[in-house]
Amino acid sequence: MEYIGFLMFFAVMIGIALVMISLNWLFGPKTPQEYEDYPYECGVPLYDKCAQTTFHQGYYLLGLLLLLFDIEAAFLFPWTVVYRWLGIFGFIEMFLFILILTYGLLYAWKKGALNWQFEREEF
Amino acid sequence: MESVALNLAVAFVKILVILGIVLGVGAYLTWVERKVAAHIQRRPGPMVVGWHGLLQPLADGLKLITKEDLFPRYGNRFLYNLAIVLALVPATLVFAVIPFGPEFEVFGYKIKPILTDVNVALLLVFGLGSLAVYAVALAGWASNSKYPLIGSMRKAGIIISYEVAITFAVMGPIILAGTLSTYQIVVNQIEQKLWYVWIQPVAFVVYMFSLLAETGRVPFDIQEAEAELVTGFTVEYGGMKFGIFPLVEWYIEVLSLSAIAVVLFFGGWSPLNIPFLGFVDPLFFLGPLSPFVWFLLKVTALFLFILWLHWTLPRYRIDQITEMAWKIMLPLALANIVFTAVIAPLIWK
Repeated sequence: MEYIGFLMFFAVMIGIALVMISLNWLFGPKTPQEYEDYPYECGVPLYDKCAQTTFHQGYYLLGLLLLLFDIEAAFLFPWTVVYRWLGIFGFIEMFLFILILTYGLLYAWKKGALNWQFEREEF
Repeated sequence: MESVALNLAVAFVKILVILGIVLGVGAYLTWVERKVAAHIQRRPGPMVVGWHGLLQPLADGLKLITKEDLFPRYGNRFLYNLAIVLALVPATLVFAVIPFGPEFEVFGYKIKPILTDVNVALLLVFGLGSLAVYAVALAGWASNSKYPLIGSMRKAGIIISYEVAITFAVMGPIILAGTLSTYQIVVNQIEQKLWYVWIQPVAFVVYMFSLLAETGRVPFDIQEAEAELVTGFTVEYGGMKFGIFPLVEWYIEVLSLSAIAVVLFFGGWSPLNIPFLGFVDPLFFLGPLSPFVWFLLKVTALFLFILWLHWTLPRYRIDQITEMAWKIMLPLALANIVFTAVIAPLIWK
């Protein structure tokens, strides 16, 4: 029942977003020209039409690290809420968990996963 | 039956108020930002449209609406438009769980100035915050152009790096409050007579760094980087479609995250705090309005602080930003959790 307001808000926002998308189509001029929808690349002709082929591998590594640590954050959230009623047992338990977490972080650090992956330039 | 209808009507009014705040104030913050930026750089800023440029946001909006609807020819039209929806909707929905003030009574009917007071409010905030990654990644990918792709990859990398730091940073205040409900966190701070910033300064600093990074504010605006990437992932967007992205990133998200920071660290609507002793309210003459004014003042102060940083600092490189997230912010946040767990029993007494 508490989420009714949230769902109503969600529906209203979807509506507003759709209106925002169609505003330019409704009110803007429609004068097509040959190169107006040409992808921007400093005004030169494109070297290749598709830009979706290459991206830096460093971002992939960041995604992996996020998966590891965000799942552990999901485990910690319930503990933070009930920590007040757990006493010393809850503290020791979670201290060990955070210790293991830190060990994982140190491992990734030592392996060089936290460093930015520069591309090797060959001459 | 009558109470259900009444509840729905109240929820509807709250939604209208939030929409007014988000879209109205959000649009006018562009004027505030331009004025602040101008005065930092010793120039007057917008002066022509209306008194001291007060009508400038309306003129800007009108200009954005009357642009031609363009679409990059090799892109994916569905994902291109979906990115806009994914940027606007989650960022605005965060306002549903922000408490603007304490409970008050109208005609004997109790109203909480918060749309959905749920017990997992903070999880909701960070769940919705994570969705921002999809908007950014899709915007760059669907444009099928090189500059947007580089910009969106940078921004997505920054967001997911600081996502981890920010989730660990907010755990300190949650341990002290013992709840995830935003309304209850503020109530607990008032009961404990303590703004959590006094014993969580480390968490607050990590939170502020993450706020700047997630909203793409200087010094973390490498995805915009006007000089090299033009505007990053929004290069291929035009008109109102372009206008949505800066509005969401720079204003709506900054506002919502500042409000969450005020809730977590500065006691929400409570007046000035002397740790463990009580509260001093220099605005007592406002009566029942004073809590709302305090909340507004705190959010405004944080927002102006962020503007101040934006217009005075240079920017970091992408490798510096991500390495700082993993090597400094994350260990700091983890140490802060252990520290908080140790001293928390002292606070609860």
